[in-house]
Amino acid sequence: MKTHIEIFDPALCCSTGVCGPDVDPALTRMAKLHTDLQKQGYEVSRYNLAQEPQPFVENKLVNDLLHAEGPEALPAVLVDGELKKHGEYPTLSELAAWLNVAEEKLKPVQPKKQINLL
Amino acid sequence: MNSFTLAEVYTKYLFFTGKGGVGKTSTAASIAVNLAETGRKVLIVSTDPASNLQDVFETTLSNDVGPVPSVPNLFAANLDPEEAARKYKERVIGPYRSMLPQSAVDTMEEQMSGACTVEVAAFDEFTQLLTDEEKTREFDHVIFDTAPTGHTLRLLQLPQAWSTFLDENVHGASCLGPVSGLTSKREQYKKAVAALADVQQTQLFLVARPDISSIREAVRAGNELASLEITNQHFIINGVFQRQSEDQAAKVFEAKQQKAFAQLPAETKLSSIPLMPFNLTGIEALRRFLENNHHEELQQTVYPGLEKELPGLDTVVEDLLQRQSGVFMTMGKGGVGKTTMAASVAASLARHGKKVHLTTTDPAAHVADALGDHLPETLTVSRIDPKKEVEAYKQYVLEKAGESLEAEELAFMEEDLDSPCTEEIAVFQAFAKVVEEAEGSYVVIDTAPTGHTLLLLDAAQSYHKEVQRATGEITSAVEKLLPRLRDPGHTLIALVTLPEATPVYEASRLQDDLRRAEIAPAWWLINQSFAASGTKDPLLLKRAEAENRWIHKVSQGEDKLAAKTALIPWEYEESKASQGLALVEK
Repeated sequence: MKTHIEIFDPALCCSTGVCGPDVDPALTRMAKLHTDLQKQGYEVSRYNLAQEPQPFVENKLVNDLLHAEGPEALPAVLVDGELKKHGEYPTLSELAAWLNVAEEKLKPVQPKKQINLL
Repeated sequence: MNSFTLAEVYTKYLFFTGKGGVGKTSTAASIAVNLAETGRKVLIVSTDPASNLQDVFETTLSNDVGPVPSVPNLFAANLDPEEAARKYKERVIGPYRSMLPQSAVDTMEEQMSGACTVEVAAFDEFTQLLTDEEKTREFDHVIFDTAPTGHTLRLLQLPQAWSTFLDENVHGASCLGPVSGLTSKREQYKKAVAALADVQQTQLFLVARPDISSIREAVRAGNELASLEITNQHFIINGVFQRQSEDQAAKVFEAKQQKAFAQLPAETKLSSIPLMPFNLTGIEALRRFLENNHHEELQQTVYPGLEKELPGLDTVVEDLLQRQSGVFMTMGKGGVGKTTMAASVAASLARHGKKVHLTTTDPAAHVADALGDHLPETLTVSRIDPKKEVEAYKQYVLEKAGESLEAEELAFMEEDLDSPCTEEIAVFQAFAKVVEEAEGSYVVIDTAPTGHTLLLLDAAQSYHKEVQRATGEITSAVEKLLPRLRDPGHTLIALVTLPEATPVYEASRLQDDLRRAEIAPAWWLINQSFAASGTKDPLLLKRAEAENRWIHKVSQGEDKLAAKTALIPWEYEESKASQGLALVEK
């Protein structure tokens, strides 16, 4: 069976975090990683409390966590329905371990084009 | 220039745009009343966050379409985007109140309290009405009295910006998140854009006053809208003065007006509405607005003049001189003279040997115009240009993130930076920085028009909350801003208004909003008073008489609006260099 990773984000304006008063690089990294993993065919879902509150209600583990520790407990990471980490985003090596692949395989592919910054 | 007549109206949808204070609402409301009197069924809709349609009609309106009392065939709706945003928020959050802990609901609410949500909600309401054939079918004309220019532009620009955004935004998360479900509304938005650009269906009226900056602003707005394919445009110059005497002020007024008309592009559909001897509130005044013959005067209560009793701008400067440093901010609707007031105060402080930094955030402001070429040495001037600030902010974010992120991750972030929120943040950051620099010297800030200012402060507040939650680094300038703005020993806020109905109501609402943010304006500056100018022209004297009602409302009695009031004469000196300074150097 394919491993399913679910990430329950705190209430965010946008998934990269650039809409806040300042940038949190951890958020940006997570946003990018999420897209990369999806592109490679892994099953990774991300829910933003501000936009999709339903999963936070439906998932008992996450709901209990929220009731016990409040929104500071977010982000929460579930792997195949099991709560693996909370309060922090997963690192690349953690993700690799959960997906049972070599870390290098998850590294982003080199950019195809030089980006135009502005 | 031809006087405006109803014959010029030939489409179903009429949009009115123009900077605050140009008489946009009065014009739209008057055309609505007069169209209804010809037997046509008319709906007038306000989407202005600080709508004064209720004041003009002297009645209470709701966001549901309802009849206007005493005018058969006329219906009105007041779409308050802030109310719409509240309702929207409740729709999304409401069902979860019982299912999620309060603290989690609070964080959701916080994220949905930003400027974006209000904008989105306003636009949503507006397109709903524009595309709802059920609702609009029965009307011959649907008139939109839209918000001040900057806001209007954004409102009108949104459909295209968003259509593009939705097309290009591959990862599906952005500042438009607050309106999840946006994609399902795509058809509606597309239809709204199409209706706006359809010359058979829609006329856009650009309303301006007969002065240079107002006409320039309208021309600029017209060009901007034309670039969005809204080309069926018609200029209305409101308040054109017809001189009846040899009075000096009247002559200068007339000459100034002629100069302003030269700013209009040659191939422009153009009409004028004459300067009225009365204020435009109430149905009777609205009926008579489009008449050219005003010999038979409306009954007006006469209030005694206060021009001898109220202090001028020099007293405001004295107030500032009593402290050794601090922030002086002028606030108010566009077109009331915030820039001139701020520049005059800054220049006067500098002439007293004080170190002063003058900054403007008003996109249409020309501080240099108000100050002239000879700046006192202790005065420095800068401008917060929203476009440049956005670029600088993007650069800063991308550079900063670049330390830890790879090229493709940066590209990803760039997509979110292209969202509509970025401008608010960027301008706010710049604003905070300027206020921080007030340490030890004077900083004079001329802020952007009302709606924008409100959004800035709204942003300031939610930022303040977010600061406490602190993700990432926070600049100290941002962190310190709100307490600084709230400290009357540090910040002196002057509301600038005109002695007329709309500007006074607007300023009053702005004051209420500031108070909600725990900020108390110290002064009200009533600008461009004919009463204080000493004019002898019969029409201008009528205007002066009409002013007094509003000057009283601001400065007299137990329920007066202002803590302290200064009255600034309508200035008929042509020299722009001395114009600002002359006000305080008398």
